[in-house]
Amino acid sequence: MMKVLNLKKSYGQGDARFEVLKGINLEILKGETLALIGKSGSGKSTLLSLLAGLDRPDSGEIMVQDKSITSMSESELTYFRAHHMGIVFQQFHLVSTLNALENVLLPLELLKRENALKEAQELLESVGLGHRTHHLPSEMSGGECQRVAIARALAIKPSILFADEPSGNLDEETGDKVMELLFNMVSTTGTTLVLVTHDQDLARKCSRIIHLEHGSLL
Amino acid sequence: MIFKFFFLKEMKKFPFFFLLLFFTLFLGTMGLMGISIITGQVHEKLQSNANQLLTSDIAVSARRDLFDTELKSLEEVFKNHPHKTYKIIDIYSMITHLRAKASRLVEIRATQEGFPFYGELKTSEGAFQSDKLYISKDLADLWQVETHDELQIGDITMKVSGVVLDDSSMGLRGFSLAPRIYMPEARLVETGLLKPGATGSFTYHFKLENFSAAKPQDIKKEIYAVIKDSAIRITLPEDSSEQTGRVINVLTNFMALSALIGLILSLVGVFYLYQSHLLARLKDLCLLNLHGLTKNKIILGIIGQFAFVFSLVMALEFFVIVPLYRQFAPELSSVLGLELSRDVNLAASLSQIPYLFALSLFILVPLLLGLMRTSMGLQLKASKLSLGRFRFWDFLPFIVSLWLFSCYISHSFKTGNLFFFALMLVFFMSTLFVRASQWLLKKIIKGKGLLLPTIENGIALRGLARSGHKLTLSFLSLAIGSTLISLILQLDTMISKEFTLDSEKPSLFIFDIQEEQMDPLLEHAKKEGVNLSYVTPMIRARLEKVNDKQFVRKKRSYNFRDREDDEERRFRSNSLNLTYRDYLTGTERIISGEPFPEGGAPDDRLPYVSLENRWAQRMDIQIGDKLTFDVQGVEFEAMVRNIKEIKWTSFYPNFFVTIEPGMIDAAPKTFLAVLPSGPAETKLNFQRTTVERFPNISFIDVEELIGKLSSLFVRARGAIEIISWLSLIVGMVILYGLSHDQVYRRYYDLALMKTLGFSALRLRLNLIYEFGALFFSAMSMGLFLGWMIAQVIGREAFKLSPSVDWGRLFYPALFLTVLCLATILLSSWRAVKARPRELLSDS
Repeated sequence: MMKVLNLKKSYGQGDARFEVLKGINLEILKGETLALIGKSGSGKSTLLSLLAGLDRPDSGEIMVQDKSITSMSESELTYFRAHHMGIVFQQFHLVSTLNALENVLLPLELLKRENALKEAQELLESVGLGHRTHHLPSEMSGGECQRVAIARALAIKPSILFADEPSGNLDEETGDKVMELLFNMVSTTGTTLVLVTHDQDLARKCSRIIHLEHGSLL
Repeated sequence: MIFKFFFLKEMKKFPFFFLLLFFTLFLGTMGLMGISIITGQVHEKLQSNANQLLTSDIAVSARRDLFDTELKSLEEVFKNHPHKTYKIIDIYSMITHLRAKASRLVEIRATQEGFPFYGELKTSEGAFQSDKLYISKDLADLWQVETHDELQIGDITMKVSGVVLDDSSMGLRGFSLAPRIYMPEARLVETGLLKPGATGSFTYHFKLENFSAAKPQDIKKEIYAVIKDSAIRITLPEDSSEQTGRVINVLTNFMALSALIGLILSLVGVFYLYQSHLLARLKDLCLLNLHGLTKNKIILGIIGQFAFVFSLVMALEFFVIVPLYRQFAPELSSVLGLELSRDVNLAASLSQIPYLFALSLFILVPLLLGLMRTSMGLQLKASKLSLGRFRFWDFLPFIVSLWLFSCYISHSFKTGNLFFFALMLVFFMSTLFVRASQWLLKKIIKGKGLLLPTIENGIALRGLARSGHKLTLSFLSLAIGSTLISLILQLDTMISKEFTLDSEKPSLFIFDIQEEQMDPLLEHAKKEGVNLSYVTPMIRARLEKVNDKQFVRKKRSYNFRDREDDEERRFRSNSLNLTYRDYLTGTERIISGEPFPEGGAPDDRLPYVSLENRWAQRMDIQIGDKLTFDVQGVEFEAMVRNIKEIKWTSFYPNFFVTIEPGMIDAAPKTFLAVLPSGPAETKLNFQRTTVERFPNISFIDVEELIGKLSSLFVRARGAIEIISWLSLIVGMVILYGLSHDQVYRRYYDLALMKTLGFSALRLRLNLIYEFGALFFSAMSMGLFLGWMIAQVIGREAFKLSPSVDWGRLFYPALFLTVLCLATILLSSWRAVKARPRELLSDS
């Protein structure tokens, strides 16, 4: 599904240059749920941003379904991401001027899917928000916003879903519910999941856990 | 603590914000400060030269010579005040340069021994002597007149004794209607020009021996007590300088309004800048509050910070403007026709600073009150920070101070109110338009997918429909900016058009035609191959009674005087010129009442009278009122039938009062006429032969006059254009700030859309659709409203004809929209190109 070969990334300039990832090698299997854990500053979000094509590595290669995303142009990468990847952020990141339904509709319409409206509606119902379709993000709770974000990320039926601390901004009870929903949907659809988290209990729900420390896998 | 946080840390941490704030305020206030320096210099110059302008301590004048009884009354008043005196007669007449065989209208100033008491006239031949003939330098240049050349003045011929090189009694050289010549008063009688009805003024000047500042005021009161005729005018030096300053005031007031536009634009920018800055700093402010700094102290800190930046702005302005003024003082003197000093008196400008500061600070009141209403503890827990909501009342201090300031700097309640209400109109129209558009857009997008017809467009429409008050504020700022820009452009067009010669304007305006000269003149014209038109009788009269009550000159008791008061004072003399006719000229329009019936006034009713609207308003006369006039001792009554509007800049014979024919046709009168436009040679020939045959008849060459006004306007426009460009630059800076702010607010939306699969092109298209619609509608509305307001202000305040310049409506809208879109695209360049890893939790 995904292969990572000797991935390196650093920030800053000159003496202040800081190596965040020091040659990561990793293979992620199809349908696998992988938890990426580590302390703050260990480089886990940086690794996620590289895997999701949100940033470019200094060196190394990332292969997704036998295609190297590191050698893709910006527009090719955008196209690839739109068709194969879903991302759930800690801060939800819904488009503020679109309501719940339209936020889910957005990636479907981008791919010009037929019955996009019906699909979006069904997805919202599947995350328990069938009654909130016309509400704007500012009119919903954090848990509801994150459920919309999960529905949006899964709308295109991605082959791989990246989740960056998806319950980090929610209270424990709501966080648990949201994560339960996420795992259920991933297992139902057979989607590969890469989850970044601090939470050991949450990580244990994944089929594999990898630890990141000072930019290297343990 | 406050000092450390608000002054040192903040300014060090946010240099871009403070730099932008500094330059926004600097550009916005520079125009007003510059104008205040110029007006201060003008007033100082006029005040210090007041005695020289009048040439004496007190002048008593009328448009006729004083009667013996009046002269005796004057003698009585001055009996107790040792003094010297002389008489001056000013009269407009045609003169002929015999060597060049050329004639033209001049202002003849006939003086007596002793002139001038104050100031001096430097001539090419040394000291001025009141028994000789001198001509002004512009006339000498025009005709190439040399000393000892002969001039025909009425019935006599005189030799030129010299050229006046410097005349301290001339207030504004550039604004005079005709060049001036000086001749002995004793010889003026010989010219035969002083016929009844001739246009002139007779002034008795007095120089007091034991002069004290209060004395002239006391004497003025004494004279008014013994001479009741409102046709008699008493002028003190300060009145004289005020009168001279009036012309400059109109110009500087208009420039000040243009500069106020720049200030308002910059204040819109200041509001936006502070809104963004406070939002960005809200978390830190909340933390300060959490640790014990009260809201009051936080707000004090913000005010102190603003005051500090404002002080720096003012300091730099003086460093920039004062040397600039010194550099351009000679050019300014040439534009204004007044020799201005290069040494700047800063008192007038400094006095304006508190008003400017108050107005600038009041724009921040809604933000500060919003901050007061913000629950700072809750903000720290919220996922998204927001300032408290604004209420309409929060803007009241700014609105009221803006209104007062508009009236103050335009020196006119009327112009100030017009300007202010025009801004309010833009405010309400913009709000209404935005709300209506959002309602309509919500209807359109309801229940529909994102493809409308493209996804970029669909998202753009949703952005517009759901942005709430943010969109209103952006729209409002853009609309106000473009309204003001359009207002300047359209007023400029209207004024330019007014001073352009066209086929509808006459070629010559002819006046001082004696009654017995009318028929021979018409015959003469026929012989010369021209037809005189608009031959109109002119009768000097006095308004004695209104509805059988004696008409009295009212005096206002309060100190604040605006331009309308000055106009009213000028209007309120009861002496006037009137005419009789039963038709309207092409330059008159009845605005209320009925036209005169055909056939003249029958014996069984009072004759009707038609009044000019401003004159009627100031005299407080209504339709149906009975007026009693005195024509050379004979009284007659008339009933007001209608109120009319007159286009005075048409250069056709028009009067404040027109009587229905029949009643006063036989009264002593002179005539006015015009020569319609035609070949220049015919005009010159007719003018020359007429002056030879009828020396007392005078001509105003309309083409020459319009040319003179045009060149004056072009010079004045240069000054106004500088101010307008300054406003435009401020507008551009603000628009850039607004565009930048909009992109900043969208930064995360753009990054997010990119992660969802939007290409850079699609993101840009989305921005172009959304902001293009916002900019174009705001610009179009602003430019249209600016045009409308220009028509109203032009008509009400400056008496200009309505006009439309489509080019100046369309191209600025297009230019400003493209400019704003370019700004949006440039501002968003980084956001569109950026790799969106900032969306992740530890970024």
